[in-house]
Amino acid sequence: MIKFDRVSKLYPGGSRALADVSFHIERGSMVFLTGHSGAGKSTLLRLVMMLERASRGQVIVNQQNLSNSPDRLAPLVRRSTGMIFQDHKLLKDKTVADNVALPLMIAGLRYSDIRKRVRAALDKVGLLDKEKAWPSTLSGGEQQRVGIARAIVSMPPLLLADEPTGNLDPNLSRELFALFEQISYQGTTVLIASHDLDLVRQMRKRVLVLSNGRLADDIPASDG
Amino acid sequence: MISDTWLTRVRRKNRAWLRRHSYSFFSSLGVLIKHKLGTLMTTLVLGIAMFFPLGLYMTLINLEGINLRQDEWNAITVFFKSGTTQDEVKQVADELDQRLNPETIVVISPDAGMADFRDASGFGESLDILDENPLPWVMQVSPKRGPTEQVEARIGELTEFLQSIDSIEVTQFDYKWLQRLGRMMELGQAIVTILVLLFGLAVVVVVANTIRLDVASHAEEIEILALVGASNAFVRQPFLYTGLWYGLMGGFLAMLLLGLTMLYLGGPLGLLLETYGTLYSLRGLGISSTLLVLLCGGLLGWLGAWISVQRYLRRLKVGGRLGR
Repeated sequence: MIKFDRVSKLYPGGSRALADVSFHIERGSMVFLTGHSGAGKSTLLRLVMMLERASRGQVIVNQQNLSNSPDRLAPLVRRSTGMIFQDHKLLKDKTVADNVALPLMIAGLRYSDIRKRVRAALDKVGLLDKEKAWPSTLSGGEQQRVGIARAIVSMPPLLLADEPTGNLDPNLSRELFALFEQISYQGTTVLIASHDLDLVRQMRKRVLVLSNGRLADDIPASDG
Repeated sequence: MISDTWLTRVRRKNRAWLRRHSYSFFSSLGVLIKHKLGTLMTTLVLGIAMFFPLGLYMTLINLEGINLRQDEWNAITVFFKSGTTQDEVKQVADELDQRLNPETIVVISPDAGMADFRDASGFGESLDILDENPLPWVMQVSPKRGPTEQVEARIGELTEFLQSIDSIEVTQFDYKWLQRLGRMMELGQAIVTILVLLFGLAVVVVVANTIRLDVASHAEEIEILALVGASNAFVRQPFLYTGLWYGLMGGFLAMLLLGLTMLYLGGPLGLLLETYGTLYSLRGLGISSTLLVLLCGGLLGWLGAWISVQRYLRRLKVGGRLGR
């Protein structure tokens, strides 16, 4: 699903975010990405979402080589990737349902279909009763789940999360990871960047460890 | 999944396109309605900006429409030397007719001239004290009508011919005045053209600036839309629609202002023209011109919005600041 082949990323000004990183993530698996801050986790996710281009090497996502894809394909790449952000990135002046509906509006679906799928996504994250609420009235954990609903509403084959538990207490974090696991069991590839090492270890999934832009370790899954 | 035929794929794409547009259409209207005061002020500025060139244009087409009795103005008046006989005058008239074939040749004998003068001047019987009629033979020659340049050329030929005849004392014509008027109208048209260009530019700039602020206040929304896969076109659309609305509303307001102005000026102007013996009613813009103004307004608004949004969209390119 995601294949990095000797990928390096240099930012203008010379700072090196990734150096010679290679790995392969299978379709339908759930993988964690850890490392200290500045190790290159965000850069790696940005490359997968085609927010950046690799300076060297090949980034192949969903059988598409992003390194030589033109800019105009970036929106399509992002549409087939659900992204969850640490700061949720919800629109404050739209209801929960309208926020979740955004990717479907962009895809140009029929309104009745949008309604159905938004409700299904909200049901999956357990927020069906908050459909008409404003994001600001929700707790941090709830807002993050709205973000997840938005990411899965268009049923993308790939789900990315950048520090999704950043501001949550351990119990909520565990619930959230369980939700991701459930999503991955339905065939979605899930890649989560997190520095919450204890929690990541508990999940017993494959873990990629980045250190100073290099792939320092690749711990295989131990859940059988 | 059932594989789609080519046609159903195209149909589905078109429907998606239509739905995206209807979303932009309504969200742009929503924004305008939400910010009523701002919308009103922008519309007012645009309306006034479009009113100026439009008003001058209307002035010009109305001036052109006034009956200036062009035929009388461009007649050449020829005065023969005193002592010229009727035969000699007739000979000149015939030769002129044959060689240059003007539109009309009117010969006025001294007696006819005196009768006219007697009636028109009001001196009446007091003219009887004159021993003999001091008026010369007079001839009025009008060139064939046609485009201005041709008329000018014909007048040139006629004058040249008339001046070469010994029995003619003076040739006189008032065409210069008409010529100047024509030149003034041309100048007026040039000024209208410049105004249209300048105020058109003003419309683009006003809309661009308004939309720029609009875009800036939606920066967060744009970022999120782009992150979840909106294309540049999708991000651009609502703003383009907003620009289009602004242009259309500005054009409409300009029309309204124009209508009110004409209503207001129509009365006094009518009275003024009456003193020149001209019955005249003001000409308004026709339906096609009205539609053209609205169309131009809409297009200029759209263009202004496009310029603004496009500048902003450059930030969203791959490797840009999106998502940071």
